[in-house]
Amino acid sequence: MVKTLIILPFIAGIIAFFIPKKAGRKLLVAIGLIHLIASILLWVERPTPPFPDYFAITPEGLLSLLVISLLFFLISIYSQGYLKAEEQHLLSDHENLISNTGIETIKAEKIFIGSILIFLSTMTMVTLSDHIMVMWIAIEATTLASAPLIYFHRTAASLEATWKYVIICSVGIAMALLGSIFIAIAMDVGQVNAPVSFSALTSVAKHLDPIWLKTGFVFILVGYGTKMGLAPMHTWLPDAHSEAPSPASALLSGVLLNCAYLGIFKTNKIMHEAGLGDFSGNILMTFGLISIIAAATFILKQTEYKRLLAYSSIENMGIIAFGTGIGGMGVYGALLCLIHHSLIKSSLFLTSGNMLLGYGTKLIKETGNMVKLMPKSFVAFFAGFAGIAGFPPFGIFIGEFFIIMAAFRSGHFVAAGIFILTLCIIFAGFSNQMMKISFGPSDHDNDTANFSKIQMDKIRSYRVDIHNKIDIGKISTDKKHMEQKLSMILPQYLLLLTSIILCFWMPDSLYQTIMNAVASMGGLK
Amino acid sequence: MLYSVDTVLSFALLASLFALGSSRLPGLIKIVGFQGIVVSMVPIFIEHNITSSAVTFYMFTMTIRGIIIPLAIYLLIKKIAIRREVQPIIGYHASLFAGLMLIVASSIINHKLALPATTNSVLLMPTAITILVTGMFILMARRNAIAMVLGYLMMENGIYLVGTTFSMGTHHIVEFGILLDVLAGVMIMAIMLENMKQKFDDVDTAFLSELKE
Amino acid sequence: MIESLLLWVIGIITAPFFSAVILKVKAFFGGKKGPPIFINYYTLMKLLQKGSVYSTSTTFIFKLGPVISLGAALTALMFLPIFGHRPIFSFEGDIIFVLYLLGLGRFFTIAAAMDTASPFEGMGAAREAFFPIICEATMFMILILFYKLTGHLSLVNYFEGSHPVYLWDMAGTSMVFIVIALFIVLLTENSRVPVDDPATHLELTMIHEVMVLDHSGPDLAFIELGSFTKLFFYSTMISSLILPFQREGIFSPYSLLLGFLAIIVVYGCVGIMESIVARYKMDKVQKFILTSFALAFFATVITMEFIK
Repeated sequence: MVKTLIILPFIAGIIAFFIPKKAGRKLLVAIGLIHLIASILLWVERPTPPFPDYFAITPEGLLSLLVISLLFFLISIYSQGYLKAEEQHLLSDHENLISNTGIETIKAEKIFIGSILIFLSTMTMVTLSDHIMVMWIAIEATTLASAPLIYFHRTAASLEATWKYVIICSVGIAMALLGSIFIAIAMDVGQVNAPVSFSALTSVAKHLDPIWLKTGFVFILVGYGTKMGLAPMHTWLPDAHSEAPSPASALLSGVLLNCAYLGIFKTNKIMHEAGLGDFSGNILMTFGLISIIAAATFILKQTEYKRLLAYSSIENMGIIAFGTGIGGMGVYGALLCLIHHSLIKSSLFLTSGNMLLGYGTKLIKETGNMVKLMPKSFVAFFAGFAGIAGFPPFGIFIGEFFIIMAAFRSGHFVAAGIFILTLCIIFAGFSNQMMKISFGPSDHDNDTANFSKIQMDKIRSYRVDIHNKIDIGKISTDKKHMEQKLSMILPQYLLLLTSIILCFWMPDSLYQTIMNAVASMGGLK
Repeated sequence: MLYSVDTVLSFALLASLFALGSSRLPGLIKIVGFQGIVVSMVPIFIEHNITSSAVTFYMFTMTIRGIIIPLAIYLLIKKIAIRREVQPIIGYHASLFAGLMLIVASSIINHKLALPATTNSVLLMPTAITILVTGMFILMARRNAIAMVLGYLMMENGIYLVGTTFSMGTHHIVEFGILLDVLAGVMIMAIMLENMKQKFDDVDTAFLSELKE
Repeated sequence: MIESLLLWVIGIITAPFFSAVILKVKAFFGGKKGPPIFINYYTLMKLLQKGSVYSTSTTFIFKLGPVISLGAALTALMFLPIFGHRPIFSFEGDIIFVLYLLGLGRFFTIAAAMDTASPFEGMGAAREAFFPIICEATMFMILILFYKLTGHLSLVNYFEGSHPVYLWDMAGTSMVFIVIALFIVLLTENSRVPVDDPATHLELTMIHEVMVLDHSGPDLAFIELGSFTKLFFYSTMISSLILPFQREGIFSPYSLLLGFLAIIVVYGCVGIMESIVARYKMDKVQKFILTSFALAFFATVITMEFIK
């Protein structure tokens, strides 16, 4: 089971490089479905994985794996429509045809599908790995597998984003490798003889050399924190998330950040067992608060909606780090935030893909009146906003509530104060932008009435023309027409629905899994 | 007092000094390659009982670190025929001076560390730290993207060296995975360099300044 | 004592011969026959037989320059243990005295060059004054290292006896770096390629040669002999470092031969260097000399690690 989960997407990814793109799209969904089913089976059966030194099934890993599987499946459905629309959009562009960018993009699609499958395989490996170094290998592999996803559009900006992503993350993660080695040295100095795996280390944590352990933790936090998007190492994140095509952004934001968090979480567990929970907690809280504050400053005057979402991810990662740092109930809140952030943020990023196709721009000031122009997407977008900003019915609210409560209980009054204040600022900034997008005036207002028919004709004629490569001028895709496709709107709704359901009814096994994960960091007191 | 491994290590250390002072890409590639070879030879000197599988692994490491990766980058330069300067942000003399200070600093740090008793070398940790930070320095203080990749490689060399300090045991599978990651990373960076060359007709990272707040 | 004096005289007498070795090596690399091996003696004889011509605009400083630079070089050699044998003079701290003695000689060469008021010579003087400054840093770095190792600041303690400096036993690699650094200092101090080309014919690119353009006859002979001696001084120092093994019985033919061979190796290296490396641009020269400082510094740091 474990082997299948890792190897199957990998092989499928390699196959996808060579098969036609239409078959590739089908393969994507098929693998997504198989992976989801396999993950659920894994959840139920909990078999012992092969190579127990290197892999283990842990509660936090299972949790992440399930989120990854679910998200990937829904995103693979969304990708069907998105990739088709993107292709049409690019081919309809006069300049693109001349410069061959459109043709290049079609080639890029095969790479996209292949990479995204390999990406899935590497992320699965992260969630299942237990050995410190294997974990590192898997996380570095996610960076490498996701780099081609960001470079999908083949533009100068996407190249820049990819370069920053690869360089900053590779260097950051190299720090994590150093940290992992330091922890191994802590074993040598403390003369502990155990496998270098998280579960083994957690049980012998008390005998590890505290100085090396502390150093190792700091390096791991900096390293995986870079990948997780904690400020001040976050600089790559807004660029990468805004330049990547929306399905990729959704995956990056929804689950890749979780994978990096998993590394920090597991190391923090060792720290708690070793009695250094205060040390690691304070550092985590500091990084968390810095991230939230940094996100707040950038959200207030953001001009692009995809970057806005990216900064919101940084904010949420900050919240999660803060919660983890507080420990106890805070960790529970952090894990809730983690799950709900994945669900809601990926839904938001998918909707932003619809917006990008509809408006043809990433700038907030050129959008507007979404409620009329794209009503279905609007519902998903606004609900997602409500969720991510922490409106009561959604899980993020509950998570933040737990974190704040834990902060007050443990006596971190100043930190909690800053935390609440910054969240309010972010809420204000976010809703301001959101109102502009949803209800503000739009340049596209007047074309709604007579839009559809003309555009539909144009698109039909263009489909004929494309074979002759005749220039037909620019066509902006019909916004409503695009919404007709179920595959481009359903996944968002499903993701949000899952999030809402989880708020009111949490399956017992899920609750138990979260509690097991929390238990090692103080548990609920 | 004098371990044979220290002799080898001081050459790796010297290579990082030369890397700071070198202004041309081909030279820098050779230095990094040389360092890769030296660094992957270190475990042979450190370990007490060497198995044949271990030696195979070291040979493999040496081939990848010292030959394949530098050669790939060298061929890349030849292919895209870019300017050969490393385009420093911080000058060579200042870099060199920083490198010297770095050696002093890392040997001071080394004395503050409690290292496992298994290591039989005095230079291992200072060398590792110096190479690592030198790599980061090159990564930050050079605008040329290829020089940045080389800086990253140097960093990895340093980390590999730190990794040899703890008792190796049966980590070869893991080390091999790390090596593969590094190799794949460099290959991806190389592909992006090619794209960068196509887009901007240069690999100067100053061109990458479109995305900012 | 008499042996020391004898060695000192032998050193001075053989110095021009060794310099000719460089010419021979260069000729060999150039595929030529080269000048006779005693060419420098012929030149010196020729120059000594001539009279000197002095410009009317020069003062006594101009005449002082050659004499003092020769005197400084000869005196410096008195402090150096040749082939590991006790030198004529020695006291604690003499290495610093010797270094500044050579500096004094350079100062008077520079002063004499300035005295002519020729723009070319002024230019050469400026360069001659600049480059050795960096060398001084290197030399002192090496001294710090040697002081750490032996606890003394005198040439006797470094080079006398069977074990010149204990470095080879303690830190072989740093010794390699020290030798390279010293070699670079040798090239700089004695104006050899790649810092300066003694055989160039273009005044603009010269450093040392341009400063002595106006000297003639015996004065020039003094300067030449002085520079031969200086080169011999540095070469002997390096050869004592690269010849670390036992040298009992100074005047046994075997050990004399070995010592001479080591010195010839150093001179040969200078010759090879001059044959395969082109003269650097002026702005690259500092970097080259700084390399020696970096090496010396590096060697010192890692040796500190070793001897702790």
